[in-house]
Amino acid sequence: MAGMLRGSTIVTALVAAALGAGAAALTMRGGEQAARPAGARTAEGRPDFSGVWQAMNEAHWDLQAHEARPAIVTQPGVYEYEYARVPAAPVLALGAAGGVPGSMGVVQGDGQIPYKPEALAVKQENAANWIDRDPELKCYLPGIPRAMYMPYPFAIVQGTDKIQMTFAFSNAARVIHMNKVEGPPDDTYMGHSVGRWEGDTLVVDVTNFNGKNWLDRAGNYHSDALHLVERFTAISQDAIRYDVTIDDPKTFTRQWSISMPLYRRLEPNATVLDYNCIEFAEEFMYGNLRKEPLVKHWEGETMIVDITRKIPPGEKLHEWYRR
Amino acid sequence: MRRRIFEALGFAVVMTVLAAFVQSAASGQAPAAGGAAGSTTSGNAKAGPPPHTPWGQPDLQGIWLDEFDTPFERPAQYADKEFFTEDERKARDEKTAADAGRNERANRGTAQDVAGAYNAVFTSAKPTGRRTSLVVDPSNGRIPPLTPEAQERNRIDQEFRLALLQNTPTCKNQAAGCRGGKYGPPSPRLNDMAPFYNTQRMNRHNGPEDQSMGDRCMLGTTPDFNGFRRIVQGPNVIAIGIDTGQGQGYQRIVYLGGSHPPKSVHLRHGDSRGRFEGQTLVVETTNFSPKFPYRGAGENLTLVERFTRLDAKTLEYSATMTDATLWTAPWTVKQELTMQSDEQNRIYYEPRCHEGNYGLPSLLVGARLDDKAFREGKGPNPASRDTATCVNELPAEREN
Repeated sequence: MAGMLRGSTIVTALVAAALGAGAAALTMRGGEQAARPAGARTAEGRPDFSGVWQAMNEAHWDLQAHEARPAIVTQPGVYEYEYARVPAAPVLALGAAGGVPGSMGVVQGDGQIPYKPEALAVKQENAANWIDRDPELKCYLPGIPRAMYMPYPFAIVQGTDKIQMTFAFSNAARVIHMNKVEGPPDDTYMGHSVGRWEGDTLVVDVTNFNGKNWLDRAGNYHSDALHLVERFTAISQDAIRYDVTIDDPKTFTRQWSISMPLYRRLEPNATVLDYNCIEFAEEFMYGNLRKEPLVKHWEGETMIVDITRKIPPGEKLHEWYRR
Repeated sequence: MRRRIFEALGFAVVMTVLAAFVQSAASGQAPAAGGAAGSTTSGNAKAGPPPHTPWGQPDLQGIWLDEFDTPFERPAQYADKEFFTEDERKARDEKTAADAGRNERANRGTAQDVAGAYNAVFTSAKPTGRRTSLVVDPSNGRIPPLTPEAQERNRIDQEFRLALLQNTPTCKNQAAGCRGGKYGPPSPRLNDMAPFYNTQRMNRHNGPEDQSMGDRCMLGTTPDFNGFRRIVQGPNVIAIGIDTGQGQGYQRIVYLGGSHPPKSVHLRHGDSRGRFEGQTLVVETTNFSPKFPYRGAGENLTLVERFTRLDAKTLEYSATMTDATLWTAPWTVKQELTMQSDEQNRIYYEPRCHEGNYGLPSLLVGARLDDKAFREGKGPNPASRDTATCVNELPAEREN
């Protein structure tokens, strides 16, 4: 019995890490979000973006167009073709729930991310070492723009001189300063956001990144030279067009951009329920340091989930910290 | 190696205090100014009337901090006296400044010397506030007694923690960390499951669950009376960012509508629903988690907070805690918070303790190495060493 419980814990953790529990992170009971007239505006006459929002797309898997895959971590199957790979051990136990849905992509123009050659090599290494490199699996602060299209809801609170976005994932937040403030004394995960209105579009400059974030689960990444210009434009009272220009001369040969809608969560009593994942990631990060490890071969009739996690050179936790 | 780890942990705690002082000082509202920013404490009438938002609500926005040092519970000698006199405040500040303990060193080269290597520069203190206690209700300024059931839980919990310490010098020397316990052989309970979900450091490091919530970068709990609070306010929802515990801050969202989730949904900081009663924002928070208790209160805690803007620079804040399974009566804390400079933006609103948590894996690695050394006869029994309370003072090693 104890073994079964442990197994279910592992699967739960894997589901959380690999799929994101965002869809489950929202209540649907109780009262109703206030009805909003078309083109709702704040008392100051600005478009009113306050409420609970969420992207509804596959950008968190891969910003670029991609076909569905059986898993994010795969291994060679019976065929040698790349397209015939099968799920690898870490997600094998999830069956069809462990796959990656296809996408038309959110990268604008030719759909390509203009990596410098050396940066493209890093991106490909990232993809090959996803489990050990993606900060999401460790429940690290997701950064911008990634936090905006993770599969979890977030709240926008539109104050008079600040706009705060509070994300379910990792209890992360960003404050968009609409007034003049000093920048942070150190680089950050979530960036330093300074906003202004251009007509009815909220335009936000984001700088002061520490370069430790990724853009998706496919290994797309950026450096500390990242400078974002985000544009939030109301499509309707319940949808925002979110356009981002991405500039990072250390990583890319030119500026490029992504675009997607953000949707208002219209369920009654829409609420951002924290996805406080630090504790969820402890087994993943520190399980091997237990006196009595929880993950082990099971015995008898109980199913054995044998997870071989071979950490490649350079990707161990203490090496990660030194980056 | 372990010593260094605890040094780092102790350092984090001390830096929290320091950060609070530095940030406050840097905002141009140094605590020594004693409310020069216009708090009610100084009675400064120039602070101006409480502002309102363009949509007519009392405007609670800004960065807020309790700039004063106030005993959490009222010291016995002040009994039912709610406020200090000016002379009493001055006397307390002078006593703090002259406290030799803050600069005292243990014997050089001892664990206590290394673990406690912080002087008054690190343990800086805020000036004494006007209140004799943050607890204002009950009128004696003391948290009501625990229920018999809660007292029994605490007894069982403490008994287990002392069992893990009983073979260490801390108990042999009857140091503060062993209060209520006695010296003896290694306990047979060494590898037992803790009697309750653990949130404090214990003298065992079998896995993350044996560590304190601070070691695990999950220290921040609601309510918080120490940190900076940044309030961003919209007509229907209010965000509160709490900067506390050196990188262990957190975010809250207060919905001015809707309803609490089902009771089965537990949230680290609870579910907050607010409403304006006249000029006061009243926030009720329920759905707390048993894993992130405030002074032992978790899923049965109901928190009612009141935010009232007294003037342009001052926010009155009160919090009433009710948990009939823990306390024999509800109790209330009250603070006057002073607005900090928004332009200087000197708060740490990106809590990233977890992202740089070298301490936890290093501590577990150290424990496994200690286990191995003991198994191989190359090191002491880990049960004979205090790796939990080592920042406590051992009288035998004090210089004076």
